[in-house]
Amino acid sequence: MAERRFSFFTPGQYAVLALLAATPFIDLAFPSIQLSGPMRTVVVYAILALGLNVVVGWTGLLNLGIAAFMAIGAYAFGILTAEIYPFQVGFWWALLLSGAIGAFAGWLLGAPTLRLRGDYLAIVTLGFGEIVQDGLKNLQTITKGTEGINPLPKPTIPFGAHIDAALSKVGVGSAATTDSAGTTATTALSATESVAGALPRWFDISSETPARWFYLYLILLAVVICLCRNLEFSRLGRQWFAVREDELAARCMAIEPDKAKLKAFAAGAALAAVAGALFASHLASTGEPANYDFQVSILALCIVIVGGIGSITGVVLGAIVMVGLSNVVLPALTQAMQRAGIGSTENVLSSPDNYKYLIFGLALVLMMRFRPDGIVHTRKAVKK
Amino acid sequence: MSSVTPLLEIKGIVAGYGSVEVLHEVSVEVREGEIVTLIGGNGAGKSTTLMCASGIVPLRSGEIHFAGERIAYAGGGIRADLLVPRGLVQVPEGRRIFPRMTVLENLMMGAYTRNDPAGVQKDLAHVYELFDILKKRSSQLGGTLSGGEQQMLAIGRAILSKPRLLMMDEPSMGIAPLLVARIFEAVKELNRAGLTILLVEQNARAALRLAHRGYVLETGRITLSDDAQKLLVDPRVLASYLGE
Repeated sequence: MAERRFSFFTPGQYAVLALLAATPFIDLAFPSIQLSGPMRTVVVYAILALGLNVVVGWTGLLNLGIAAFMAIGAYAFGILTAEIYPFQVGFWWALLLSGAIGAFAGWLLGAPTLRLRGDYLAIVTLGFGEIVQDGLKNLQTITKGTEGINPLPKPTIPFGAHIDAALSKVGVGSAATTDSAGTTATTALSATESVAGALPRWFDISSETPARWFYLYLILLAVVICLCRNLEFSRLGRQWFAVREDELAARCMAIEPDKAKLKAFAAGAALAAVAGALFASHLASTGEPANYDFQVSILALCIVIVGGIGSITGVVLGAIVMVGLSNVVLPALTQAMQRAGIGSTENVLSSPDNYKYLIFGLALVLMMRFRPDGIVHTRKAVKK
Repeated sequence: MSSVTPLLEIKGIVAGYGSVEVLHEVSVEVREGEIVTLIGGNGAGKSTTLMCASGIVPLRSGEIHFAGERIAYAGGGIRADLLVPRGLVQVPEGRRIFPRMTVLENLMMGAYTRNDPAGVQKDLAHVYELFDILKKRSSQLGGTLSGGEQQMLAIGRAILSKPRLLMMDEPSMGIAPLLVARIFEAVKELNRAGLTILLVEQNARAALRLAHRGYVLETGRITLSDDAQKLLVDPRVLASYLGE
């Protein structure tokens, strides 16, 4: 098989990443809005939906319990990092281990159930979602029941201090430049100082600005996209596609459908668990188990379908549209209206926040009617 | 009987699905360089025989040998995915191309197990030479091809698996007569180039004209086997399958 060489992103993927990267600039321009914090959930859901896309979009297996793997990732992250447990392995190790635990959980669910087809598999995954949620609620000694595990650490950037030092050495560190020895560098840069002056403070690696936190999540999303993209055109990706298209024909090509499906399940679960870990770190708590209920699985499925099933760019765009609407735009609108004195907290109809499922439903119906392949079509433009 | 070991030797196999036994001691031999056809009506067990040889349907008794190696026996055998690299390749019934992959991607799926890019490119050129329409449509989605073109694609895909024995299941099914002739011509060409072929067909006349030898399968039993030319004029075959 003609193997494709490793590549980072397609133009579409660059575009959605650039779109997301613009968020903190909006904060900079309109300090009253502050989108960087809530936009982290967009990134989390994008990673979750990319995981689901491996299973549903590429391998053609309907999974209605992806939130269970997100929960497993979140609680694994919580147990590995919270002060009340003995592990405290820190953000990065916990993130990796959560992914691995998620993959194992996916394999564990997949091994006995992947012989089931279509609707039956969907029912099992749906049941699994409920079992995990109930399990987390009732295993109180381990999971703290409905309290959730907290507080959880924010991400730390390895070598963050070194980057700061490097920045101040070349003269872009804001206040540090005057007392450093590099006065020549300062004068050379003085022309750009007015433009660059605001930026270093804003990008400051050592302080915990929302912008910095958001960019860290965005970089992780970029890594996941790059991983998915290269997986798509790998031998394993071809296996998944072949199994989705025609299982018997795939067997005639020397592919083992059961093994391919199991790998898809594990890969999807691993990404969902990473999303769960990032979600927990974002909240600084795992939250209660109900945070990972059936609604979340359905939201992830909607993101995949609205965005464009099978398309990485489409799925990320779907997350921006759907989660952006429900977690960023509508709450911001509600707040703005309250500040302006329009509407009241008593009247549920006057709060835009409460219209989100109405809008989701309408969006799904309209998508199915006018653009059933999603915002981004996967197989319209044929690649050479 | 030739003294050379046959490339494929199906020896008294019994197989079925659930409580239904489909094959009752079926024996078929295919020698290197031959086209052998297996003809018979609906439900006779033709496809099941191929599925047994491909390692997809397990045997209840009997044995199958390929290139001197025992590949299937009661309760065991070599896994399907390991038979393709050995050169035992099937073009399944109903074409079964991958509809949402392009023609080229479909063909490349055939070469999935191979690690010789140069050889793959050579075989791809060969397929394009055999079916020039596939070259013209190489960037089109498989699902948009006509039935006949899809059959050509399925055969091309199998050739890219580098078969020693190509097993074809009803390549003429549901295809315009003109294209059937084109496909059978291609089968003949492939055989002339040295490929051994086991052809399962309901279109008995066309299959027997093409083949060197033929077997008649009736409700899970081989009832006749002979040179294809002799079967074409055999009164029993004429009465049952050739409609005269």
